[in-house]
Amino acid sequence: MMKALGPLSRRRFLTASASLGIGTIAAPYVARADDPTLRITGWGGKWGEIMKAEIGPAFENEFKCKLQIDSAFPYLPKLQASSRSAPIYDVMHTNSNEQWAAAEMGLVEPKIDAKLVPNLADVYPYAVSDKIVGVSIFTSAIGLGMRTDKGYGNITSWKELWDAKYNGVRGGYVIPVNSLGQAFLMMCGTLFGKGQTDLDAAYTALEKLKPIKIVDFTGAMEKMLLSGEVGLCVIHDSGIYRYDGQNQPTDFVSPSEGVLSLEQVLTITPGSKMKELANAYVNYMLRPEVQKRLAETVWYSPANKKVKLDAKYDAKLLTTPEKVSKLIQVDWKWYNERKDEIDQRVNRIFRA
Amino acid sequence: MSSTATTRPNGLALFILPSALLFALFFFLPIGLMALMSVLTGNPVVMPKVAFTARHYARMVGDPYYLEVIWTTIRIGLVTTLVALLIGYPLAHWMARIKSRAGHALLLMAVLAPMLTGIVVRTFAWMTLLSDKGVVNQTLMSLGLIAQPLKLMYTETGIVVGLVHIYVPFMVLTLTGVIGRIDERLEQAAENLGASPLRAFLEVTLPLSLPGILAGSLLVFALAISAYVTPILLGGFQIMTLPILIYQQISANFNVGFAAALGIVLLVISLMLVIAYNRALGLVSGQRELQ
Repeated sequence: MMKALGPLSRRRFLTASASLGIGTIAAPYVARADDPTLRITGWGGKWGEIMKAEIGPAFENEFKCKLQIDSAFPYLPKLQASSRSAPIYDVMHTNSNEQWAAAEMGLVEPKIDAKLVPNLADVYPYAVSDKIVGVSIFTSAIGLGMRTDKGYGNITSWKELWDAKYNGVRGGYVIPVNSLGQAFLMMCGTLFGKGQTDLDAAYTALEKLKPIKIVDFTGAMEKMLLSGEVGLCVIHDSGIYRYDGQNQPTDFVSPSEGVLSLEQVLTITPGSKMKELANAYVNYMLRPEVQKRLAETVWYSPANKKVKLDAKYDAKLLTTPEKVSKLIQVDWKWYNERKDEIDQRVNRIFRA
Repeated sequence: MSSTATTRPNGLALFILPSALLFALFFFLPIGLMALMSVLTGNPVVMPKVAFTARHYARMVGDPYYLEVIWTTIRIGLVTTLVALLIGYPLAHWMARIKSRAGHALLLMAVLAPMLTGIVVRTFAWMTLLSDKGVVNQTLMSLGLIAQPLKLMYTETGIVVGLVHIYVPFMVLTLTGVIGRIDERLEQAAENLGASPLRAFLEVTLPLSLPGILAGSLLVFALAISAYVTPILLGGFQIMTLPILIYQQISANFNVGFAAALGIVLLVISLMLVIAYNRALGLVSGQRELQ
């Protein structure tokens, strides 16, 4: 028997080992080679973790496909550079302002077909309003974040951000690159002028906000608030609530004038070859159980009305029509049409 | 002399082919595409009707803001280069002239050690030192020397501090080689003829090390004007430089044409510097053919 197999030479051994190694590495890919691949975008951090560990694999198993998630922001320039007939993504997940820019360039479909996405029937009106391209699957509330250990007292209005006592500890965003900053600029128009589109009033208000510490990402603002580098800042509720249970001296303030909406929006690209799967993914992300799991992980308010969150989350997130009615949506189409002009002006305002 | 002998391809030239191809593919092609995009109304690959335009350059010239950004970028580059030179030259001179092998190795390690850590990490380290709640301000406040934190971050000075820390090794390593090749006996001869050590340095060593000064300065300046991470983190977007503006145009305004035009301006600044460097080097070394 041994003779029949022949002697195990070093060459044979190495060849067999290499084949075995390559086979082991390649096996999962070979086995799934026939599975269709849905290319999507998504955030990193906790969102990315749970998508990779639970939500994504569950979708892959149910729909017999492979989910390829790009979490390297920014997404839109990559979509912009790819072919319209073979786009880099099938489903794009990003904030509403970018979705509007993408829709204006014809890179994403402006609306989701309710017939192909049955769960669309259960979302709050804001999620499919005329201020939204595609569908908003979650929202955060943009308001004020404050340190509770500095004796600032009870903050109830956006206008308190302009109080001189916050000079040196006031936090805001790089408006040209940050959705919260852009939404806040529109809020300034409402607070001090005739409405969201009163840019002159907004610019004057922004001038008066100085000195202010500005950052590009909300994650950076969270760190600054936690370290005490800022005491009062513009932030979304998730950026405060995600530290729940860690005994941090920070709190979220919903100003009396209303909170701005920071929507997490899904759109489908017109050139996608996976339209059926793309619609299935949007529908899946709107399922109550998926919404509940994600909402309770990242502290986003679910768009599906049927979602029942645990009491802790339900108390803080926007889960009833009354709470949702506090949301102020930004007219991103209007904003994007003037973005260059706004950017030039705010870059001048905030330069050192 | 036969013409066939002169036109026969050199076999060794084939060895250059891979690097020439690499250079063409990853250097000339991207820059060519960038130059093309800067004069087009859109991306011809994905848009049906694209025309030539000068609007991106006109926008830059027509708005003083962009000229201010260009000047800020150049100013930060110049100050960084000057400070890196002032810090780097004595260090390089010491390294080049130190007799002890162990001493040279220690100095070299000291210069190279910061380069073993990423730029982002080093910049964050500066942030922990320079921020309002950072080590410097907290120490000064606890000692009662200041009542309010000093504004060390979000200033051009903060950016220059961070950039100098990152680029001093480039200056030192460039200078060390040049200074090391200067014959020490020239300085000794000058001193024998009655020159003081300072005069010997100023009239012998310094002029002979000018090629190194120019090369190091060119390297540091080019790196400083194209730096992105450090100006963004230490400048907090309140100091706008060309690389930040380019990123902003790509990532948030999706205006590839304007970003390309800004990139070309940055490239032209660097090219002008290289040409000036070659001219200066030619004049200094007397090698006019370098021009």
